Amino acid sequence: MELEGRVALVTGGSRGIGRATALRLAAEGAAVGVNYRNDEKAAQEVVREIQDGGVSAIALQGDVSDYEQAEGVVAKTIAELGGLHVLVNNAGIAKDALIFNMEPADWLKVMSVNFGGVFNGTKAVLPHFMSQRDGVIVNMSSMMGERGWTGESNYAASKGAINAFTRCSAVELARFGIRVNAVLPGFVPTDLVSELLEKDGGKSIKKQVPLRGFASADDVAEAVFFLAAARSGFITGTLLPIDGGVGAQLGLGRTNW
Amino acid sequence: MTQLTTIDDIYSVVHPAVAEALGLDDDEVTPDATLMDELGAESIDLLDILFRIERSTGIKIQAADLSEYVQGGIPDEEFGDENEIITEKGLTQLKKVMPQLDVEALSGELKAEQVMGHFTVQNLMTLVAARAAASA
Repeated sequence: MELEGRVALVTGGSRGIGRATALRLAAEGAAVGVNYRNDEKAAQEVVREIQDGGVSAIALQGDVSDYEQAEGVVAKTIAELGGLHVLVNNAGIAKDALIFNMEPADWLKVMSVNFGGVFNGTKAVLPHFMSQRDGVIVNMSSMMGERGWTGESNYAASKGAINAFTRCSAVELARFGIRVNAVLPGFVPTDLVSELLEKDGGKSIKKQVPLRGFASADDVAEAVFFLAAARSGFITGTLLPIDGGVGAQLGLGRTNW
Repeated sequence: MTQLTTIDDIYSVVHPAVAEALGLDDDEVTPDATLMDELGAESIDLLDILFRIERSTGIKIQAADLSEYVQGGIPDEEFGDENEIITEKGLTQLKKVMPQLDVEALSGELKAEQVMGHFTVQNLMTLVAARAAASA
């Protein structure tokens, strides 16, 4: 129980990686604020599951692409759970399209939720984190932010922005006792990427992954837990891929060996 | 939290906050030293100092409060002239919060952007003392 006495807030915590993260942090004893935008029922289920394990949790509605709502979610977490130590900026959307067909509104929307959510969440916790000189931020990025892929330019750009912001905020906030890291999943079969896996169950993608498979939401949650816990106390500004080796690979088809 | 009843109490809070935020040895931080010009504080250092003071005393001073405190609520256009030189009215206010200033020598010379460069550790202690008294 490495997070006993800590309070965590997971944005976009009702589904997918956010849900797995909320449950993983709670399993280590952290009280968890489960933020959601639309799916109250799913968020309440996560809350109930955490409470069944004897740990405090609350569901918090709020669109983190709007700064005032992000601020409200943070304030409510602190008021109701008695503090805040870990922020997981996880909320994200995708609006995949070829650039040729992409509406300007589609990159702006993706940018404002994915990167805007990270910025807003980070800024909203700073008065509290800086005052207590203690805080951990984990940003949900993607390997897409480090590499290119057809049809994901807006999503990749938003994740690239998160990566740059993670490094800058780690450097800027270190002196205030705040660590900032990002995790970069490759493909994780969640609702967000379901379209990409529709065709052949992801077979064609899977065989290009050195570890031959996809990360589960739990694999990503495990990395978030590691970065949130005191055991990673000297790690900040890191972009941690959870991609089965995809990013390490020179992607030029099959080897002759 | 440290109770701030005497000047020594205030020194015991402000001195380590400045030294630790700026990574200076204890003896480098003297009451007369100016925070920015002599000790090299940048705006992020000031923020750090203020948060350290808040953490040890509970007294919240915003970074924006510093310049407001120095300017004493005088509107910009009355504090500095059209060339950003501090007016006599401005200098009279500055003398209240920064008594060490030689306002005669600075008259007609001091630019608005240079004002905070004269702000000393002692001046910060005076501000903290005032806030402590106000919240007591």
